[in-house]
Amino acid sequence: MTKRRKISDFMANAMTYFASFISILMLVWIFFYIFSTGMKSFDFKMLTTNYWSTNYKIEFESPDAGSFEKPGSLGDSVAYSVKYGVGFEDVSTKSGTMDLQVVYIASDSPLNSGTNAVAGETLGQSQSIDLGSNVQRITYVNSDGSYASEGNSKGSSAAQLAAALDQSVSIDSMQYQTPGGGVGGSLKATLMLIGMTLLFALPVGIFAAIYLHELAPKNRLTRLIRSSIEMLAGVPSIIFGLMGVAVLFPITAAFGIKSTSILLGSLTLAIMLLPVIIRNTEEALIVVPNGFRDGSLSLGATETQTIFKVVLPSALPGILSAVLLSIGRIIGESAALIFTMGTFIMDKPTLTQNATSLAVQIWSVMSGENPNFGLACAISIIILVIVLILNLTIKLITARLMKKWSA
Amino acid sequence: MNNIFTVKDLDLYYGDNHALHSIDMAIEENRVTAFIGPSGCGKSTLLRCFNRMNDLIDGCRIEGNIEFRGKDIIKDKVDTVELRTQVGMVFQRPNPFPMSIYDNVAYGLRCQGVKDKKVLDKVVEESLTKAALWNEVKDRLKSNALRLSGGQQQRLCIARAIALQPDVILMDEPTSALDPIATSKIEELMESLKKDFTIVIVTHSMQQAARISDFTAFFLLGDLIEMNSTKEIFHLPKDKRTEDYITGRFG
Repeated sequence: MTKRRKISDFMANAMTYFASFISILMLVWIFFYIFSTGMKSFDFKMLTTNYWSTNYKIEFESPDAGSFEKPGSLGDSVAYSVKYGVGFEDVSTKSGTMDLQVVYIASDSPLNSGTNAVAGETLGQSQSIDLGSNVQRITYVNSDGSYASEGNSKGSSAAQLAAALDQSVSIDSMQYQTPGGGVGGSLKATLMLIGMTLLFALPVGIFAAIYLHELAPKNRLTRLIRSSIEMLAGVPSIIFGLMGVAVLFPITAAFGIKSTSILLGSLTLAIMLLPVIIRNTEEALIVVPNGFRDGSLSLGATETQTIFKVVLPSALPGILSAVLLSIGRIIGESAALIFTMGTFIMDKPTLTQNATSLAVQIWSVMSGENPNFGLACAISIIILVIVLILNLTIKLITARLMKKWSA
Repeated sequence: MNNIFTVKDLDLYYGDNHALHSIDMAIEENRVTAFIGPSGCGKSTLLRCFNRMNDLIDGCRIEGNIEFRGKDIIKDKVDTVELRTQVGMVFQRPNPFPMSIYDNVAYGLRCQGVKDKKVLDKVVEESLTKAALWNEVKDRLKSNALRLSGGQQQRLCIARAIALQPDVILMDEPTSALDPIATSKIEELMESLKKDFTIVIVTHSMQQAARISDFTAFFLLGDLIEMNSTKEIFHLPKDKRTEDYITGRFG
């Protein structure tokens, strides 16, 4: 009997160890994959830069060559033009082509004094070159007064370009392509989405929770409402997306918004998050000691005064963690947003136009003909870090709350 | 002597549970009346009828009447908010709000719409002085009330109640969560408070009832067994059950 017991104990233990090992392994695997793939593409600059690359042509008025020393920080692979204080490098891109990138521009380089030569609103305005831009063509003037040009479109290498510039007299114009691949637009759209969603969902959710917990009679109807809300929390988000298109789109359309928009997305998410906010706020209200309510009422405060002066302020930390939880959900949501906000990545998002959140941008860059794993993982890193910070903050708030009430 | 509360044929039900059986009693003004009895005998329940705090409990039903200064307070149309400003209450566990000491004491008045800083300052000082707490907290009125010790918190709750200048203060086992030193301070305080207020106290400690009260009512299983002056109850109890209880034979 003891032997049998030993064997069965061993089996059970082995199963638990194996199961926990598998789950931890999966977690480590995911993180390792995302960080190893994403870190190569991740760059703090991508948080502010555009996703789409743009072609620019700039012209120079007084392109006098000077003499600039090559900074020591630039490696041997950088071809440096002493006359203009600019460094170029040959970089292979993810799509397999070679880029001729601008990697350094001296602060007083004549290249900083260019003006935009492309027709449009910014024609004639001064324009500085983003680092990482791909040089298509630089047209320069030789000492005999003739014009010549070098650049990526002519198949020149960085060394050829730098050498050609150093024997020129002045630069006439430059065509280049901005690097792109940034998430600035999506980050902005995500922030707008968070702000608008909370604006819609928080007041409704908090007041609904107050009604359910503090005011509603404890009868069958209240229980029905509560279980409906619980059920709503389990509805897949894509169904909320459908609802957004079918039910909410006509509402935003009535205000003259012709397409899917951040506004529509935030309305949809607000409805999706209502159960989360109601449930968490209710839980925060449950934790508030009944002594506070009794004490307040016994001092001749009305029920409403009790709720708004004593109960709600005491529940504030709990409500705050509901907010943070909601922010986490908004950042991570994609299915509902694909329907209601569209999948076109906007560099300058506005409330009434479609845009992508960070999560949807991952979907967008992965759903094309050549999926961009590097960028997708880099965005994943951003999302993971934000969610991690949010979760830590929630833990901190909850711990403080527990300490406060147990005292 | 004036009777401030007159209870006539009061029955109270929690759902199907008949918690108080046709209680008749009178509470005298400016006296300390103690309710004693074993747990679950209905003494706290009766106390909570005096300021209608039982309204908050679902399924609670009251029959009969209680007159407060000749006015029935069990009827539905009684303004409970108004009643509770006249009948204050101190609870078993000190329950100061998580705000500053000053805000705690000023809470009741602010709820009634008093905004004048001078009036509030004056009332806060007076109330804390009456509650024998002023000297201990006058330098830190703005600090959080939850940082006070248990005994100080309970005196703050008393100060909070008397800030409204009620006629009656109901105390529901106010010292059961406190240590002996804090308890004796509260008891001294009650002695000085009875000049201005009528005090009704529920207590588990018979010594406490004997020390501080003028009248004592003994409850058992929802019945008022005996009510008399404290001296009589403790020296010449008329009922056998009262005698058994105060001599410690049960309870």
